[in-house]
Amino acid sequence: MLSNVLESPAGLRLGIDIGGAFTDLVAYDSVTGKTAWVKVETTSADFSEGVRNCLEKSHVRMKAVDTIIHGQTLVINTIVTRTGAKVGLIATRGFRDVLEQQRSNRRDMYSFRYRKPESLVPRYLRLEIDERVLSDGTVLKPLPEEEIGKAARALAKEGVEAIAISLMNSYANPSHEEAVAEAVKRAAPDRFLTVGSEVSREWGEYERTSTAVLNAYTMPKLTRYLDKLEGTFRDGGFPGTPLTMLSNGGMATFDHARRYPITTMESGPVAGVIGSIAVAEGLGLKNILTLDGGSTTTKASLVQELAPTTGTEHYVQRDENNPGYPVFVPTVEVVEVGNGGTSIAWIDGIGNVRVGPTAAGALPGPACYGKGGTDPTVTDAYVVTGLLNQKYLLGGDLKIDRSLSEKALRPLADRFHASVAAFAEGVVKLANDNAADALRLVSVQRGYDPREFALIAYGGSGPMFAPFIARELEIGTIVVPSVPPGVFSAWGMLVTDVKHDLVLTQTLRLDVEGNLDDANATYRQLEARMVAIFEQERFGTERPVVFRSADMRYRGQEHTVRVDVMPGPLSLDNVGELIRRFHEAHERKYAFRLERSVVEIVNFHVSGVLKVGRASLPERPAPKGSAEKALVERREVYLDGRATKWSIYDRALLPAGSELPGPVIIEEPTCTIIALEGQRARIDEHGNVIIRQV
Amino acid sequence: MTTRQGPAEKADPFTAEMIKNGLIVACEEMFYAFGRTAMSPVIYEVLDYAVGIANAEGELVAQTPGVPGFSGVLDFVASDVLEKWRKEMRPGDVYVLNVPYRSGTHLNDVALVLPSFHKDDLLGLIINKGHWSEVGGMHFGSWTSDATEIFQEGMQFPNIRLYLEGKPNRDLIEMIRANSRLPDQTFGDMEAQIASMKVADRRIQKLIEKYGVDVIRASMDKLLEDGEKLAALKLKGLPKGTFEAEDYIDDDGITEDPLYVKAKVTISDDAFVVDFTGSAPQGKGSINSPLPGTVSGVRETYMAVMDPHALANAGFFRPIKVIAPEGSVFHAVRPAPTSTYWESMSYSVDLVWKALAPHVPDRLSAGHFLSILATILAGVDDRTREPFAVVEPQPGGWGARNDGDGESGLVACGDGETYIASNEVYERNMPILVDRYELNIEAGTGHGRFRGGFGVIKDYVVRCPEASFTVSVGRAKYPPWGVDGGTDGTPNTCIVFKHGREPMVARKVGGLKLVRGEKVSLRSGGGGGWGPPLERDPERVLSDVRNEYLTVEQARDIYGVVVEGMQVDGGRTQRRREEMRRGHRERRP
Repeated sequence: MLSNVLESPAGLRLGIDIGGAFTDLVAYDSVTGKTAWVKVETTSADFSEGVRNCLEKSHVRMKAVDTIIHGQTLVINTIVTRTGAKVGLIATRGFRDVLEQQRSNRRDMYSFRYRKPESLVPRYLRLEIDERVLSDGTVLKPLPEEEIGKAARALAKEGVEAIAISLMNSYANPSHEEAVAEAVKRAAPDRFLTVGSEVSREWGEYERTSTAVLNAYTMPKLTRYLDKLEGTFRDGGFPGTPLTMLSNGGMATFDHARRYPITTMESGPVAGVIGSIAVAEGLGLKNILTLDGGSTTTKASLVQELAPTTGTEHYVQRDENNPGYPVFVPTVEVVEVGNGGTSIAWIDGIGNVRVGPTAAGALPGPACYGKGGTDPTVTDAYVVTGLLNQKYLLGGDLKIDRSLSEKALRPLADRFHASVAAFAEGVVKLANDNAADALRLVSVQRGYDPREFALIAYGGSGPMFAPFIARELEIGTIVVPSVPPGVFSAWGMLVTDVKHDLVLTQTLRLDVEGNLDDANATYRQLEARMVAIFEQERFGTERPVVFRSADMRYRGQEHTVRVDVMPGPLSLDNVGELIRRFHEAHERKYAFRLERSVVEIVNFHVSGVLKVGRASLPERPAPKGSAEKALVERREVYLDGRATKWSIYDRALLPAGSELPGPVIIEEPTCTIIALEGQRARIDEHGNVIIRQV
Repeated sequence: MTTRQGPAEKADPFTAEMIKNGLIVACEEMFYAFGRTAMSPVIYEVLDYAVGIANAEGELVAQTPGVPGFSGVLDFVASDVLEKWRKEMRPGDVYVLNVPYRSGTHLNDVALVLPSFHKDDLLGLIINKGHWSEVGGMHFGSWTSDATEIFQEGMQFPNIRLYLEGKPNRDLIEMIRANSRLPDQTFGDMEAQIASMKVADRRIQKLIEKYGVDVIRASMDKLLEDGEKLAALKLKGLPKGTFEAEDYIDDDGITEDPLYVKAKVTISDDAFVVDFTGSAPQGKGSINSPLPGTVSGVRETYMAVMDPHALANAGFFRPIKVIAPEGSVFHAVRPAPTSTYWESMSYSVDLVWKALAPHVPDRLSAGHFLSILATILAGVDDRTREPFAVVEPQPGGWGARNDGDGESGLVACGDGETYIASNEVYERNMPILVDRYELNIEAGTGHGRFRGGFGVIKDYVVRCPEASFTVSVGRAKYPPWGVDGGTDGTPNTCIVFKHGREPMVARKVGGLKLVRGEKVSLRSGGGGGWGPPLERDPERVLSDVRNEYLTVEQARDIYGVVVEGMQVDGGRTQRRREEMRRGHRERRP
């Protein structure tokens, strides 16, 4: 119950995050600086019910709340389960099949039965209009007004719930799309409408069309959901404007989310990255890798100079064999591998041990939960080795039966003539090797050296994977934040700023003087639009801080590099500085520079950020005295081929400043923190656990 | 130099698994490092390269190919290098090879090899084979459809030393620069290739540091053993016996005559033998496939029928035996040109596929459009006076499966994770207009219980004073094949629209001049059908009519389905289908 700790009559901020298994609520009292949280089960039939349950359980007084920030999985679930709206598409004559042809790649290249993701709009609902805009924005064929109304009425007659408009070269000149939108509003006023160029102004007709169609596809469902939720908040007496977490690492109003649901798709995982940045900032760290250990997967992300890796080339349902659907909106990059706390260990057809990607999940769960699971999971292996508590987890709420773990692992161990403990240790190491892949993908494969980063670990299994991964990748510092890892994403929402991004493709070479005027005009135009967006969101009179950046490249090459652009007008005096930054960034990413090549801008980016007050890191009640009082037991742990006694501490009882040399285990209700031999754990003044390689 | 001494220490199953992953990661890191640092789009966009690690016997233990057609070329390189250099091989040496006949594909594909040592012992070879944009020869870009001997196709590197104990062979490098039309780019790619191999070597040295060299050797052996075990397991699931297929390649690019090709596939408990005996002799033009190309083709279909996600290494490929008579179109000998070798190589994929499709229906589809339809549209942009070039494959229709329709608009089997460029990007970067990019419904597709996917139509209009157009269209005469009563697909074609002239149908065109406003229409065909069309679910036929994949007339005449007012007339459909079945029986007594 939260009402006991949060008594202020106003100034409460709530972060509410819906995850696959749990719906979390974290509340921050901006008057007292106190933080509290509750957790309920997610109600997948109607997500808003879970939110209501959460609010009820928390007993938070809605009148005292001035900000609610919400992250949901409804949008991504709608896409994954193919339960979105019936959508009609209006396209340029000769291009309605772009959605079906896609980019024609065969990602699963040895399969001769390969299938692309199905087109979410069937051909008969893709109608063409005989118009054409050229790449410089000029009009080759004017818009035939009468055709538009006809198309809209035809789609309405077919019973589409939503209409998407995506025309060729609309990134260069959106006027045709805008005119079509007006005509559609007149002819079919009761349908949801997505104008492609409003969601993305980048070139690439397939990616832009896919983004527009997915936006339309998820619009009706998210709108109904947010309407209902907003009603719940209001009925409870909430006086403010609820906000939603965005994939770009910022937040925006519910109205924005209703118009552009696709920009909220990755809100949960991204909130964890934003939370990590706040933690890092507090500790004076600048470059971090985030490790979000879940029950079925592990997610990783790279943060440089406190800025998350953000790009617009994002896909949903993409894996090594499936291309997925492009969603080209600004998104914080989070990589996921199919290896988590409940991943199952198994023996493949030729007799090798494997871990994942199949997982036991919450139900039936690991064998040791005694809920009917019989497959050996990573959690079972941790229990058998003694790395996890062998009697209970969740502070006693969940009973653990070690003998069930052994029973599940024994048949596999027998096949290798190994002891159950030795086999369990193998599973632990293999699982960590798999999880390390997520971090390799965001660092080594992109040209970054993980040794130059600190690791922030959260999620139920993040802190128990972290020490092994750090050892493997030679990462010197691990941070397990003071915020409980189970509600870290919801907490991350409380340290998020309002943020919008605008991206516009306009190729301009920088060796032509007149082009600098065009570049300045484009930035001014984007910034004006940015201000208008913030005004529409009604955040009072406060103006956003605006940042410029650009995707740049050597003329003639395809790939681009993102470069921060100086504020103020570009001129012959300072363009050299921009080009210098580009050469540098290019060399960092691609290992070479072409000093004599012409440099050009491909995409103009403008980000607007408005800070609306943040939660500070929760202070854990700092017990006095020595660490010895926190010692719970000495437990036998089997690792590196031998059993030794490890000290087990209770995190809640550890005073700040405690230094615990590894091997050591620190337990708390929602996670288990491990420091291995050669590592050293320290509790800082906030209650963060910092583990260093010594 | 010494090789392994005494029995190797065996790793426990988990360590072995982690070292296996480590070797695969080493390969992947080499793959990404090269892709990231290469200077040519053909590397970082088309991924026209492959990397791998072989053991000290030249057996490939792990590889990462960018396109499936590269899955069989690396071990030929490894054994060639060992045969010639093993005795004097030193740490820091780098060897360069591209001669097609023994170990290559075409001269553009240049293999570099870096031996990996532990102290003085050879542990294995690190190989990176990539497409160099320019290796000299008669035309820009080196590969061409009008060469008649290899000497017109560029420089030959006959397995020689590029680096000696870490020091570059400067004379050779100067020679390479002097003979390339893009010396900086070629040199840049070469340096990136070498740097990426060093990345892999560093990863291997780290593994040695952590686990010891004997354990690494044992794990390499285990990778091969595992591959062999997996192959044996998968072979069990395949039908045993001899399966045959024949076909024709349209022409050799120089003469009009088709080339007869055939394959006999014999599958037993421990072998997968493909015999191309009886196929045509090598052609005059550059379509000839050297043996490594042919083996790559066979391996691709082998992967498809065995396990598309198997770890591809020498162990897994051990059951394969390829018989291709020397001097045939599948085993070209000096001085045959090979620079468009994919035109024949794709048939080595397709013949095995065609022979097995009826017998392995859960792994294969009916025939697809097959040709890469390699297209070049190039010229000078009069607005900027800069050169421009579209260089691309075209996507097309894939064959039906036994449980579903074929895919439309997909790249051919020779390409993999290959992206067709965005038309908007082309229009912005180059003086061309894409008039339409849509499914090729006009040409139709193969019909059946499940129908083939559709090809595409892409119309390019020239918007500068002058441009040059080159295309190589295969399967223009002989369409993709249907299975089990499904009809054949439709041929690929290209139509050129010149001012004041009748539209001209083209197959292989080299450097055709086009002027402003003239148009080329690239049209790929549809895939073959699976099962008799009269067995197609009428609701599927109706859906095809609604989606304008079929006309009402086609529904009636091909499928016997009567559609009225967007509904199936059940009674008339039944009668019509009975009538058609009777007609078929009468025609085929």
